[in-house]
Amino acid sequence: MSETSEKISAYLAPRRLDEALQAMADGDATVFCGGTDLAPQTESGARQYQAKLLNLRRIEGLCGIDTGGGEIRIGAATTISDLRRNAPLAAIAPALVEAAEHFASEQIRNAASVGGNLCNASPAGDMSPPLLVLGAAVELACWRDRAVQVRRVPLEAFFVSPGKTVRRPEELLTAVVFERPADGFVSRFRKSGPRPALEISTVSVALGARIADGRLSGVRVALGSVAPTPLRARHVEAALEGRPLDATTIAAAVAATADDARPIDDVRASAWYRGHLVRVFVEEVLNDVRRD
Amino acid sequence: MQETATASPTVKETLIGQRVRKPDAPDKATGKTRYINDMVLPQMLIGKVLFAGRPHARIVRIDTGAAQKLPGVHAVLTGKDVAELRFGFVRDNVALKDKVRCEHDEIAAVAAETEEIACRALELIEVEYEDLPGVFSPEAGAREDAPQIHDRFPGNKSLAFEFRHGDLAAAEAASELIVDNVFRPHHVTHCCMGTSCAIADFDHNGKLTIWTQTQYPYNYKMDLAPALGIHPGDIRVIQPPVGGAFGSKLDVYPYEPIAALLARKTGRPVKVMYSREEEFKASPTRQAAIIHMRTGCTRDGVLTFRTADVLLDNGAYTSWGPTIPVIMMRTTSGHYRVPVVDFKAQAIYTNNPYAGSFRGYGNVQTTWATAQQMDMLAEMVDIDPLEFHLKNAQRSGEVTPQRSFLRECALVECLETAATASDYSRKRKEYAALRDAPGRYKKGIGLASSIHNAGGAKIHKSDGIGTILKMDDYARVTVITGASEIGQGIDAVITLIVAEELGVPLEHVTLVNNDSDVAPWDVGVHASRTTFIAGNGTRRAARKAKAQILNAAAKMLEESPEDLDLRAGSVVRNTDGAALIKLERVLRQMHFQAEPELVMVTDYYEPKSEPEGAAHVSDHSAAYSHAVHIAEITVDTLTGEIKVDKVTVAQDVGRVINRMGLEGQIEGGLAIGLGYALSEDMRIENGMLKNACFRDYKLITAPEMPPLDLHFIESHCAEGPYGAKGISELPTIVIAPAIANALYNATGVRIFDPPMSPEKVARAIFERCAPAGSGAVEPRLAGTAA
Ligand SMILES: Cc1cc2nc3c(=O)[nH]c(=O)nc-3n(C[C@H](O)[C@H](O)[C@H](O)COP(=O)(O)OP(=O)(O)OC[C@H]3O[C@@H](n4cnc5c(N)ncnc54)[C@H](O)[C@@H]3O)c2cc1C
Repeated sequence: MSETSEKISAYLAPRRLDEALQAMADGDATVFCGGTDLAPQTESGARQYQAKLLNLRRIEGLCGIDTGGGEIRIGAATTISDLRRNAPLAAIAPALVEAAEHFASEQIRNAASVGGNLCNASPAGDMSPPLLVLGAAVELACWRDRAVQVRRVPLEAFFVSPGKTVRRPEELLTAVVFERPADGFVSRFRKSGPRPALEISTVSVALGARIADGRLSGVRVALGSVAPTPLRARHVEAALEGRPLDATTIAAAVAATADDARPIDDVRASAWYRGHLVRVFVEEVLNDVRRD
Repeated sequence: MQETATASPTVKETLIGQRVRKPDAPDKATGKTRYINDMVLPQMLIGKVLFAGRPHARIVRIDTGAAQKLPGVHAVLTGKDVAELRFGFVRDNVALKDKVRCEHDEIAAVAAETEEIACRALELIEVEYEDLPGVFSPEAGAREDAPQIHDRFPGNKSLAFEFRHGDLAAAEAASELIVDNVFRPHHVTHCCMGTSCAIADFDHNGKLTIWTQTQYPYNYKMDLAPALGIHPGDIRVIQPPVGGAFGSKLDVYPYEPIAALLARKTGRPVKVMYSREEEFKASPTRQAAIIHMRTGCTRDGVLTFRTADVLLDNGAYTSWGPTIPVIMMRTTSGHYRVPVVDFKAQAIYTNNPYAGSFRGYGNVQTTWATAQQMDMLAEMVDIDPLEFHLKNAQRSGEVTPQRSFLRECALVECLETAATASDYSRKRKEYAALRDAPGRYKKGIGLASSIHNAGGAKIHKSDGIGTILKMDDYARVTVITGASEIGQGIDAVITLIVAEELGVPLEHVTLVNNDSDVAPWDVGVHASRTTFIAGNGTRRAARKAKAQILNAAAKMLEESPEDLDLRAGSVVRNTDGAALIKLERVLRQMHFQAEPELVMVTDYYEPKSEPEGAAHVSDHSAAYSHAVHIAEITVDTLTGEIKVDKVTVAQDVGRVINRMGLEGQIEGGLAIGLGYALSEDMRIENGMLKNACFRDYKLITAPEMPPLDLHFIESHCAEGPYGAKGISELPTIVIAPAIANALYNATGVRIFDPPMSPEKVARAIFERCAPAGSGAVEPRLAGTAA
């Protein structure tokens, strides 16, 4: 945990990114976007507020989805509801919109942000698997040498452990970007929990690949809630890459999940059930793609 | 089902069976209602409790010095301050503890100017513990070498119950088929939207006023007094609006005496209110149990005997939870015609959270077992379960081995109605035939039923109610009644009955039922009793008032009272319905005449039931009722998810009083039962609750509520008000085994330990398809492509 203070001494709601980054330069600001992770965490005592409370919601340009160019850009403060209602995005990256569809409840979706979901770095975060299979990167900005500096980090390299990322305390996540998928790109998302509504994923699976002449290429498979961070399932991908999408390949991919998933027992599910669900979902998304 | 109202002036329109909204609905829907949790009194301090946070320990040392000195702190109390002030069903509890027996044991309490200061003070209290080995299951607690939890209860033995009837050995010998299973109903909790809260204030004469959420205000005084060392007569109980109770407020829990002790110490009002996390940890649970049940029948499908050997997880203290065998044995002996019965139950102290009472009161657990065994036996006999149930169903006039007299029994009608409405027998056969066919999603249909007391339950010496009814000069009616309103809708029922009897508009009836210094005795809201008992009390009081009014009116009008009636705010003539004089004019004339009289009547109603008694052979309720649920489900055989597609309910309600309230009670009861069946589960590991929040404790939410097809069977109970019976627990009791039977129909697996969570169901199906050691990894997956 970062250093803590007992009381919030300043509340900031800047309109400009550079103001926000200057306020963060000393590393003593708690960033607050939708607050749907932050509020429960501070309430339970798992985390303390720092001296400054920085609200991101008024910063111009931090919110919005740009699907116009070769690079798709989603502002960090974009809400899950915005994603869910974005028709162009649904055509480009159905897995992402599907994940938004199964995210929490209407009230939470209206507040929760994409950036908050990634920065919270929960292994169960629902934005991570679809963004991982889209090959997304995050933009991290800070105030240095009297200017805004931005670096890009591939999402795969962003997560360190539950709740930890490579983001430095003075950095703000400003956007998620990914290349417009090529023709023939398909993507899917599947998650499960003991109840259909308002559910934290017991396990989630995303698939992204190009499909041509019945073969898969550029395969990316990502898993949530089966390891300390959301992860790419390299063995499953290898079992699929360049292969014809038939029953044998699917069976091999299902078997390979055992090499990628490292699930644990916790209060939500046993390791057995998580491993089982990964197999079920990997097979399900592959069969689904095969049918199309 | 709706009775058609008629416009004929000579036939009286009735409100009975109509849809009437709760009088407090607009205020609740708009947020105007001030719940107890919202209340602030002048000079009020905030009380906070220090919980042990460990399951079993000796308290070596407590130092409250620093907390006492914190500015804004007015009192700090510990176990020393309450040493011999024992309370509880067997006097095994005390408001602040000298030893830790469960995670939420109250170790110290503070009263401070603000919540922040109170929380800070708790942090300053130093406690040194010496942890002790714990007991985390009733089996472990019953072992000879088990750690002892209470010195006064050797062997960790709490309450025990027994009932035997008939020659068991002979019945077993005569049984061609016997099912024998162990069921393990789990811990769940009430999840009231309003968390536990009490505000206490002492006056300088030593009289305590306590604002609480209690659902039994009169015996509450008796139970609270020993925790404070005062006389029950010196307690005034005020019940502000509450956000749910469901049985959880049918006892005294430590936060209530703590509020009172802090109030006495500080001389100021003190409020103690739980956070959601504290609520999860420190409020009572439904009793977890291990039920070893056996049921036998003949080759022809006639039940021969039933035995139940029950071990109850008492938790650390004895609240009302361990008394549930009183109801468990009624179901064991009375759910269908069971000629021979052998029931025993032993509650064992553990270091787990302790159980209280909860809607269904032991019958949820028992019916989980009995209704599944009925289904299993039907399959063994190889007849349709419906036929098996009908064959063994009691009829009106039968008496159970415990002497429950089933005067008006509509079980057969409930079974036939639900089965026909859902096309049960055809679907059951069809789904069973498809069970092992390829395909990931399987449909299933399951039938379950149960019996429950529906005219109170005379567990206490009295099951009665007092009612005072008065009318003012404008024909406004006030009913002062012992019946508590905890959201269940007795306010609407009483209003409806008064309007029915006195011919006044619903809006002209006011209820006063929340102050023990004003309203007369009632045993409390429990046992599905309030519409039955308070309905009778209200009707009797209203009829007394009506007789007084008609007598006076007859004199004024020079008519005979038998020819008169009260309708639509007037005195009318029976023969032609003609309005003769306004009711309010009659009342004023009565009041202002030479020999003045006011309408103010009293009534005490005690139902014709027998006290439970130590032998448990008594007609302990004034009525009994049955319900049948038929659940239709779709199972995802890979993820184990159960989707409930539809529930058909046929319930003997005696007579519909307030149709809207009845529907609401059945829907709400089902929601609690569905959570019990599918998702709710207190994850207690070594005495510590691991999911003390709504994120991880899964209530049923709106999207999972299935469509309901409700059928109200009206058996016209002779003793009930207008023929009504109590209705509110059966919906919670019957649904879980209906789903369990549907799961079996769909997949061939049975779950004995609720909830039927996706994980448990997936595992059971997986194991059924891949017998241990077969080496198969994922036998079903291959078949799922289609
Ligand atoms: C009832 C409920 C249901 C939920 N269901 C789901 C679900 O189905 N799926 C799911 O994935 N999650 C779920 N969540 C978790 C949560 O809603 C999401 O993770 C959400 O996306 C977080 O976004 P936020 O804007 O609210 O983040 P906040 O709470 O504002 O922030 C989260 C963390 O990220 C930091 N942060 C936020 N934005 C930035 C930024 N731009 N740069 C740097 N740091 C930043 C904050 O300091 C904080 O540490 C649920 C939460 C609740 C309360």
